[in-house]
Amino acid sequence: MGSTQWQKHWRTRRVPFAEECRRAGEAFLVDLKDPATAQRRVLDDVIALCADSLHWKERGHDVLTTAPDAFRDTLPVMRYDDFTEEIDREIRTKGGTLSCSPVLRWLKTSGTTGVPKRVPYTLHWLLKYRIPAMRAMWGVYLEHHPEILAHPYAALDTQTVYEDVDDFLAGVPYQAISNRHPKINARDWNPPWSAAPWFGTAAPSSHSGRMYHRIRHFLGEDLRFVSAINPSTLISLRDLIVEHGEDLVRDLAEGTLEGRPHTDPDPERARRFQAVLDRGEFTLKDVWPSLNTYSSWLSSSAKLYLPRLEAVLPGVSAMPFMSCGTEGVTTIPVDDSLDSQPLAVGQAFFEFVPAETDLGALLDAGERVETLLFDEVEEGRDYHLIMTQANGLYRLWTGDVYHVDRFVDGTPWVHFVHRDGIFHSFTGEKITETQVTRAIERAMTAAGRSVGLYLCGPRWSEPPYYVMVGEISDPGEEQDRLLSEGVDRALQDINIEYASKRTSGRLAPLTFTTVPHGGIAAYVESRRQRGNTTQYKYKPFQQDTDFAADILGDTASTGAHR
Amino acid sequence: MIETKRPPQNVRREIITLSADDGARLALHLWRPRRRPKGAVFYFHGLQSHAGWLWEVGPRFADNDIAFFVLDRRGSGVSDGPRNEIPDVATVISDYTVALTHVRETIGDDVPLSLFGHCLGGSFLAALVHHADFTVRYEAAVYCSTWLGRLHSLLGESERAALAADTGTQLWDAGLRSEDFTAVPRYQRFIDDDDLAIRSITRRSRGTLLELERLYVDPDHPDRSEPPRVPTVFVSGLTDPFLDLDDSRRVFDRMVTERGTIIHFPTDRHYLFYTDVRDDLVDWASTHTLLQGLDRDV
Repeated sequence: MGSTQWQKHWRTRRVPFAEECRRAGEAFLVDLKDPATAQRRVLDDVIALCADSLHWKERGHDVLTTAPDAFRDTLPVMRYDDFTEEIDREIRTKGGTLSCSPVLRWLKTSGTTGVPKRVPYTLHWLLKYRIPAMRAMWGVYLEHHPEILAHPYAALDTQTVYEDVDDFLAGVPYQAISNRHPKINARDWNPPWSAAPWFGTAAPSSHSGRMYHRIRHFLGEDLRFVSAINPSTLISLRDLIVEHGEDLVRDLAEGTLEGRPHTDPDPERARRFQAVLDRGEFTLKDVWPSLNTYSSWLSSSAKLYLPRLEAVLPGVSAMPFMSCGTEGVTTIPVDDSLDSQPLAVGQAFFEFVPAETDLGALLDAGERVETLLFDEVEEGRDYHLIMTQANGLYRLWTGDVYHVDRFVDGTPWVHFVHRDGIFHSFTGEKITETQVTRAIERAMTAAGRSVGLYLCGPRWSEPPYYVMVGEISDPGEEQDRLLSEGVDRALQDINIEYASKRTSGRLAPLTFTTVPHGGIAAYVESRRQRGNTTQYKYKPFQQDTDFAADILGDTASTGAHR
Repeated sequence: MIETKRPPQNVRREIITLSADDGARLALHLWRPRRRPKGAVFYFHGLQSHAGWLWEVGPRFADNDIAFFVLDRRGSGVSDGPRNEIPDVATVISDYTVALTHVRETIGDDVPLSLFGHCLGGSFLAALVHHADFTVRYEAAVYCSTWLGRLHSLLGESERAALAADTGTQLWDAGLRSEDFTAVPRYQRFIDDDDLAIRSITRRSRGTLLELERLYVDPDHPDRSEPPRVPTVFVSGLTDPFLDLDDSRRVFDRMVTERGTIIHFPTDRHYLFYTDVRDDLVDWASTHTLLQGLDRDV
């Protein structure tokens, strides 16, 4: 679409979009003042949606039509893998198996076992839940920063992309939720910039290629707001300007985009941009002096990015992003609070289990899981989150642990703490123990070895990376090099999000340092002496990388990254 | 009639398990609008396909206020029944009668119902409406990319007699190539990889197909009765790699005593729903169905 056409679309959509977002935001605020009614509405909707599905009828769950209060007594708490068989059926039927709504897409996300999950993206879920959630969040952005819609170049939205899909499940597209291409119908997500060339399929699908297009389009424009899901995207925006500064200056001066005709040549704009580059330690505020707001995830481990963000975006105010995953939305911001957001009581039926409960063990034992409802949780405590979404995945143990901060009008305000059983995620890659173990196994097998004890922790750096120490029989520098490369490669293969972050340079290669057998076991034992000796367990995932210094005796081998 | 200015609907998708006369479980797939449908289409799938091929077609019909029903034929899709096997004529007729009786009861008497047969499904449709046991009311019939009377055209009398007597269970490969169905790679890949697709049938099943043809090509068939005079349309691409269109239209003309309508959509592939004409075909079939419910005397 040419520049005239996409800007025409922008102007056509500007007012309706703002109105759609305002209305969704208002509806959410109404829910927050009466959370019990909102939760009841979701529950009734799920029952109406699913009661006639094959799965519910075959298992007798359709009795809930006349006895909705028996919901928790009738349906078991499920893990994603418990749905595998029914998802396989749903892939064939494209709806009617788990819920009575057509499956329009399958959403792809990293699974805890390294096998990508397949989450049904149904028409009902799209229209009644996912799109309203997006609109409600943007309603808050627009309320606080109406300048977002000042003109077509006021907002750079990297939350969503339109990319061609090349993966399908029985003919149905299989893609990340952030990829909203193609637009399903007129009620699908449709921001004013949805026809912009930097947003659409015309832009490259690689991270750096797409970012280059975004930067080129916005250089010299009156940019006010930049939005990302991960803060690392904002950091990489500056990094890529540094990396491609020379190309950008040339494209600006010659009126090209990657050498192809794009706009009128603008040597003056190129000169000003060159002057910014010449400062060396420039900020994004130097590139876009008009920039006054950004949004991204900024809670939990993402908070570690804040100092860097403040350096790259000085004086630029932050807006939060919703807490969500492919499986569903948990919180939606209603203001600029970065630490906590209200539970999205109109998005799912939520249940909670105290975080100290070993939920996995209960489920493994087939024991009944007692859950708490939204009004039964306590401030200051952490909880496992179980949610029922209107896409057929009911009572799903998400694996996420949330902290309850406070109650407002009866609705809990919460924030994501961590993944249960998952140590860390710098920028959304969600590396699991199982994945790392499998990656190490692969690399060890390739080297003719077997996996032994290892420890893994996150090293905060620019960019960050993972530090691993593992036992082998003949440690040494050559083995360190081989295993670092092998584990990194295997982990990329196993976890597509890790691969994405590695490819885009948001994560540096991991390091794997070998130690003799017994080295880690001795360390684990030494830790046991300090804490609860009965319950202390060997945990491959560590909260930090102190273990490396403790085991190796110095930080030289893992501290300075190549 | 269709509302011309409204947002897309939040349509439903259901799978109804029917019990056939012999107890076999048959899957009747349904896409429908949330409110009461203004029309209904019952789709007869072909040899290879099943309801799982229609994930884009069903929602569009439903968005047009049409309840779209597809029966996974016994032995196809997710219905019971041995694969690669088409049961005897009596069972075929009975299964469809059970399904269509359910459909008529579901939609009520005042909702127009079109019967839509694709490829071999058109031959099943023609046989059904010519069978004396089938009495369910319907308002229109559509034969889409169907080679009506194919076996009667291709086989001589002695060959037909041999086929009718063949009780063999050896498999006969239908020789279906996905590139003849569609030019779109992703649909080709789906067809090639679809583990529910039927690509061959037993020799005795071909005998059943021949017997089904006899119901509509042989005016003296003992089980035959003349179908009601409802609007009947033959739909196809401009050309079709699987069909002798001229031959099929001749059979069609005889069958409807030259009162039928013929419509061509601009494609050269067989499976119109996997071509650029998909939405046009759905929209045409929707309005064609809805118009059968138009009462100008109110």
